[in-house]
Amino acid sequence: METEEIINKPPIRKYLLIAVILFLLAFIIYYTVMMLLAPGKKLEALKNEYSYKQTEKVKVDERVFTDSTYLKLFKEKAYLQSRIAMAESDSIYLTVNIPDSIVNMSISGVVVHSTKISDYKYSKILFSGDDYIITSLLSRPLTIINDYSSIEKAPLMIKMAPKDTSEFQPDIIPDTADYEPVNYILEMNNGITLFVYQAEKINPGDKLSLFKFDLRYRLRLTMASLRNVLSFKVPEYHIYIKMRLPRSDSKIIYRAIPKHGQIAVYR
Amino acid sequence: MENDSITGEELQPEPIQESDVKGDSDVIQILQTFWQNILDNKKLAVIIRRVIYGIIAFFGLFFLFLFFIFIIPAIQELPSGHKSAVTNSSDLKKDAAYKKQIAAITRDVQRLTRKHNSYTSGISYVVINTTDNLFYLYKNKKLVREGHCSTGSLKMLMTEEGRSWIFKTPRGKYTIQGKQTNPVWTRPDWAYVEEGLPIPPKDDPSRYEPNVLGDYKLTLGDGYMIHGTIYKRFLGMPVTHGCVRLNDEDLKAIFNTLSIGSKVYIF
Repeated sequence: METEEIINKPPIRKYLLIAVILFLLAFIIYYTVMMLLAPGKKLEALKNEYSYKQTEKVKVDERVFTDSTYLKLFKEKAYLQSRIAMAESDSIYLTVNIPDSIVNMSISGVVVHSTKISDYKYSKILFSGDDYIITSLLSRPLTIINDYSSIEKAPLMIKMAPKDTSEFQPDIIPDTADYEPVNYILEMNNGITLFVYQAEKINPGDKLSLFKFDLRYRLRLTMASLRNVLSFKVPEYHIYIKMRLPRSDSKIIYRAIPKHGQIAVYR
Repeated sequence: MENDSITGEELQPEPIQESDVKGDSDVIQILQTFWQNILDNKKLAVIIRRVIYGIIAFFGLFFLFLFFIFIIPAIQELPSGHKSAVTNSSDLKKDAAYKKQIAAITRDVQRLTRKHNSYTSGISYVVINTTDNLFYLYKNKKLVREGHCSTGSLKMLMTEEGRSWIFKTPRGKYTIQGKQTNPVWTRPDWAYVEEGLPIPPKDDPSRYEPNVLGDYKLTLGDGYMIHGTIYKRFLGMPVTHGCVRLNDEDLKAIFNTLSIGSKVYIF
């Protein structure tokens, strides 16, 4: 009797496992579809914001927006407009010139520091999207809204004042030989993210520390995407520019650029 | 001679020994018995099944992790963007409206270039790099001198009463507001607090200290100065209370090159 009961009992655990696997597969497909929709949604949003809007008074032949001569001049104009807007303030700003592989740091139009990009990678959207729209997007300076870094922006040391002269100890010479890998991510207001990674592999642990730093950021983005997908929203797509700069230069730039500093990009 | 002659008899494959077949079947039999024993031992079978499920689950989760963190962002980049074809139509180039538009945008680019170039100061200026403690002196847009300096130590001095001072060289664009030879240092409150000394009244003669700022000083406002130092071994290190310290020769060159109103760019 007992054996019969066991045989007739439905394998609930098996069904549960199959249900979980099916649910997981369905979620993976749903998540993938939503993630694949994200770049298209971003492009659509950019089109709505930056495409040329015809007016009653001024009619423009839209063929001009695909003309190579016009686009070349338009790119130059956008980059100049962006730099002039930043030069108007006394703040320190950055210009990233992708074709020349140069990053300049300037104050009021004067280049105070320049460095060469040793390697870069960027979102396809930046170069394969509509030229007129992407150039219009870059015609205004990009403002940093968030930054994540492996080094401190202002490494402030706190020193308590001595009560009297007997407690006074002269300052020890600062240790300038300190080594820390320099990697940082600057998120900007219009959805562009700038990744700056140290070009040199000075210590054996540098590769691992970059991997950990990058993984932390990827996890943060994935969690944000998961939250969006779970609330049935298409997640935000982040246009990115990843570049490798010499360690000393990237450190100088990160320490000098203000918390909400501005950046102009020429592509 | 014996080795040279290989007879047909020797090339014949060796007959399979009955004992070898018996040996193989013994191994299979041992394995079968071992497996049967495992299956018979219910506890062991459960453990092995659980280990296998555990391994499958681990690799499944690992794949999911890779999928969400690395694979999906990579897939997102595959189809993104719809590039509008860049044209070079000769028909369009003959169009009067097109020519007008090209002329207008060319004028804009020229005007903006002039404006941008006007920011680059033609007169002399100095650039201070506070991260690496270096200075660069420019005259007629050409670098004429560079060398080490000392800038703010990034220390915060705190008293038990709650007073605090941050020893940091400010970044941005500054103007030379005053020049003086044989300057006398007026010791501020922090100079006493730092050494555990009692703070004297504002105009107390003990506050005036000659021969510590070198031969010249250039004031930048808000108490910040460019001056000489008696601690020359610290040049190239962040050790000051916010001022920029130089060696005697560099200070003389800067003092003679810059005039009141000249710009100082600090980053």
